[in-house]
Amino acid sequence: MLQVTTITRRVDPHLALDLYDPEAELLLLHFGPQHPSTHGVFRMDLYLDGEIVVKVVPYVGYLHRAVEKLCEKLTYAQITPVVDKNDYVAPMTNEQAINMAFEALLGIEVPRRARWIRTIFAELQRIASHLLWLGTFALDLGGALGGGSTLFLHCFRERELILDLFEDVTGARFHYNTHTVGGNRHDIPAGWSAKVKAALDVIESRLPDYLSMTLANRIFLDRTRGVGVLDGELALELGVTGPILRASGVDHDLRRDAPFHAYDELEVRVATETDGDCLARAKVRLREIEESIRLVRSLVDGVPEGVLNAARPIKQPAQFKIPAGQAYVGIETPRGELGTYVIADGSANAHRLKIRPPSLHALSALPHVLPGATVSDAVVILGSLDPIMGEVDR
Amino acid sequence: MNEHLRALLLAVVVVNTVLALTTFAIWFERKFAGRMQSRLGPTRVGPFGLLQPVADAFKLMQKESIRPRQADRVLFELAPLLGATCALGAAAVVPLAPGVAPAQLDLGLLFVLAIGAVTVLPIFIAGWSSNNKFALLGGMRAIAQSISYEVPLLLAALVPIVLTGSMDLSEIVRQQAEGRWLAVWPFFLGLPAFAIFLLAMLAESNRIPFDIPEAESELVAGVTTEYTGMKFALFYLAEYAHTLIASALAAALFLGGWDGPIAPGLHWLLLKTFVLFGFIYWVRWSLLRFRSDQLLSICWRWLVPAGVALVAGAGAWVAWGPTP
Amino acid sequence: MAVRPRTVDDGSSFEHPLYTTLLNTPGLSVSVAALDDLLTWGLTNSLWVFPMATSCCGIELMAAAASRVDLDRMGTIVRGTPRQADVMVVAGTITVKMAPRVKLLWDQMPEPKWCIAMGSCAISGDFYRELYSVVPGIDTFMPVDVYVPGCPPNPEALMHGLLRLQEKVRASRRGEQVVRDPNPALLAITKPSVPRLVDAERTAEIAAAQEESAATSTAAEARAPLEFEAPAARPADEGLERRLHADDAAHFPREGPALVPVEQHLALARQLKAEGFRQLVSIVASHWPAGRGRQGAEPAESEHFEVAYLVRRVGAGSRLAAWAVRLAPGEPVASLVPLYAGADWQEREQYDLVGVPFAGHPDLRRLMMPENYSGHPLRRDFASDSPAAPWR
Repeated sequence: MLQVTTITRRVDPHLALDLYDPEAELLLLHFGPQHPSTHGVFRMDLYLDGEIVVKVVPYVGYLHRAVEKLCEKLTYAQITPVVDKNDYVAPMTNEQAINMAFEALLGIEVPRRARWIRTIFAELQRIASHLLWLGTFALDLGGALGGGSTLFLHCFRERELILDLFEDVTGARFHYNTHTVGGNRHDIPAGWSAKVKAALDVIESRLPDYLSMTLANRIFLDRTRGVGVLDGELALELGVTGPILRASGVDHDLRRDAPFHAYDELEVRVATETDGDCLARAKVRLREIEESIRLVRSLVDGVPEGVLNAARPIKQPAQFKIPAGQAYVGIETPRGELGTYVIADGSANAHRLKIRPPSLHALSALPHVLPGATVSDAVVILGSLDPIMGEVDR
Repeated sequence: MNEHLRALLLAVVVVNTVLALTTFAIWFERKFAGRMQSRLGPTRVGPFGLLQPVADAFKLMQKESIRPRQADRVLFELAPLLGATCALGAAAVVPLAPGVAPAQLDLGLLFVLAIGAVTVLPIFIAGWSSNNKFALLGGMRAIAQSISYEVPLLLAALVPIVLTGSMDLSEIVRQQAEGRWLAVWPFFLGLPAFAIFLLAMLAESNRIPFDIPEAESELVAGVTTEYTGMKFALFYLAEYAHTLIASALAAALFLGGWDGPIAPGLHWLLLKTFVLFGFIYWVRWSLLRFRSDQLLSICWRWLVPAGVALVAGAGAWVAWGPTP
Repeated sequence: MAVRPRTVDDGSSFEHPLYTTLLNTPGLSVSVAALDDLLTWGLTNSLWVFPMATSCCGIELMAAAASRVDLDRMGTIVRGTPRQADVMVVAGTITVKMAPRVKLLWDQMPEPKWCIAMGSCAISGDFYRELYSVVPGIDTFMPVDVYVPGCPPNPEALMHGLLRLQEKVRASRRGEQVVRDPNPALLAITKPSVPRLVDAERTAEIAAAQEESAATSTAAEARAPLEFEAPAARPADEGLERRLHADDAAHFPREGPALVPVEQHLALARQLKAEGFRQLVSIVASHWPAGRGRQGAEPAESEHFEVAYLVRRVGAGSRLAAWAVRLAPGEPVASLVPLYAGADWQEREQYDLVGVPFAGHPDLRRLMMPENYSGHPLRRDFASDSPAAPWR
């Protein structure tokens, strides 16, 4: 019988292969860049002993779209629609992160109404993003021609409800371009809150179904428990954030610990787990869906009256300049800390703009957690890290 | 000579019936999966999309047939043919109606199980000869899985053999028709044996949750990764035919085959087969996949001991149980 | 019916031997026409998709296969291997690193095969078009049959694209010119199979809401114009310790993180880690050409690099600490990998894009660009539209 060991001690990702049993004949499996389970274009070279992964060499950059260079070329006002495409599963939070960095440099106070609406968007986006994660994770576990695809399609069905809500506000299904410096561009339409609550009711009523296919399912538990254990200390060093960090026992959530938007007026219950395995990550994300539903419910009726934007709409992008200075703003997106580091030089273009993507850091945990797992586990572990390649490569 | 001609004709009829049923089964599965996933499934070709598998077949016929340069020439071409032959061959001994079976063999059940055991060979041949690492991994997994699950399958099939004292499928069905279905009485032997048979059958025909040789999320398309056009279609067909025939077998062994009131036997056999087939696909579209080591541990830790106990129990029942 | 020989770029150039044999058999020409129709019917109604999904459009491709739109209605399923697919849907941006792989996968698909370019990135490169790492449209290196514009196109649009492809296949099999005008009958089919949560009355409702919001925004027109006062720079006389730990968890001094001498950098990192700043947040390298420098610096500075390090103390009362080092061109800075495992990829990325060498890094290779790439694109003097790939 195949003996599967989960290695919890530190693995040297740069281990030379001849340190391994020199008698063993290793099979080099190129996994990706185009593979049903790599979640985009990501390649890992797996060195296999039978089905056990001995070493993994990840390669990213297959979707390197030079966003940072593009952001230097474009004016500040033009950047928002570009960064939408980075984390294409949660575009709302991308826009927020970048505009908040500009606001920090300008010293603009965002109106309370806009902050509330941004919070609602962020939380709805978290639900949508985690639903998509759950679906694709089930695909990794159950295959495109099996139970996995059933759960996947059900998750997509619910995700569509949230996309409809966003479409009502912004007119776009996907890339919204709704945040500007100083506030929001689109106000929420009349009767929107009722629709939000209706959609949330639907999603909440169907959550037990997902739980019965995941956390209450023996196969799911067997496949995820003890698989891909990431130790909390290593996770911190790697810069892993978000649900993965919280699943490793580190109680850290920027929504609570460094509040932005309207989170200082809210009580965010942070979900944590201590096991650090794929199951813990799944539990954390599923509880975050519930928490986000609760947060949106508490927010959506009480959106304060007032202006939506602290500044007038920008008519001449080239005249919109930010005084020289540097700023870093990190916010909690569905995947963790999405940071924007801006170096402004007083002109209408950034001197340097660096986006700190949570997925890149999450993916960098791969060489540490994969050795010792099987090929089947490799797919599950990769899925549990929830990398979005648009954000990893930028 | 006449006899040979008759056998040949019968073979043609049976093979084509099975193929027609298989295309229907493919449509049934796609619609079924669609409804489970709150979709419609195929709607555009024929009423309710009934002709979808036919369209697929016409499409696959026209596709270019690619053999990778590094692939093993003979084996690569042979594997899909062998696969389809093995899957269809098992249909030969399924009793269709009272006194009607394509081939009346005294050792029919043995023949079916033997053919079922061979089915793994084309899969491994395909995996090995493709010269593709994903296919090779799939082939290796298939070997490990099929050889393991052969044991509980045989043990579960032994229970009806012991209880009826025959290896002729027609005879097994006849006894059930005269007495009670084996899944009904003795239920404490028949039902668990039926369950083990079903599980092992799922594993043998590589259905979820035991579909690790294919495992699209890990191995792209497993052993069939390099196959195109008709060669792939043969695998596809063999897979469904295998499941279908295995369902028919399970129905014959435990659910009384053609036995049923009013309607002629064939109807009942078909009904039972499709109920079982539907069950398999219900399982398929709702469960996730095991990992290979878990799969083997289920087999050796649970199914095999249970199978041995059942056979022993069946022996005891025949020796000391109430005489019918 | 005359069956014309097809041109190479037609996309349907492949002829099965069986088909040609039938075609050349005398007396069969009538049935061949019927057969041809049958084959075309099969071909068009079973277009299996190979998802060449790289980015955002890939998500919409998934949505198209999902319940609301359901591509399976027209017999289209998604296959993971190119060997069993008929249509390659290129959904997403194709970079110079990815393009050779896309071509390889395309070549692995069996004839007859078609390609759909989904989304503006695949069509033209979109706004990444002029950048160093993006291919300006996939038709620079492979044939495309149907273009589905959008960013990303709705799932319904993709379905429409597939239906147009069916028309194209049908027409080209008949040897006709491919239809160009949009067919209204087709648009009717692309309606979603599952109704939306909010349906028909939605249009009027949205219009009303938009009017209302337009009214409120005119009312709020009287607010202040874009005036702002830059937050005051922190006084420089505060100790280094004070300047490293920003007051507010997210921000550091406006002029940038405190500069520390290169030789003290590693010791400082060690000290901060011991103090509980155990999470590596980011490493940001920036290039400053001659005459430019951070805010408040002397204007006539020589060319230099700055590398900023951000670390965080996590949990309640989370705090950020940041420091930076200034480097002359080519001057290395000590790698943080021994302290923070996450510095591995961060330093590789900054080395790749900005060209700062990190001394003591165990595996300093390029992260984003292909390994045979030369140049560091995020330097200020890098011309981003310079030809970097063979296909432009």
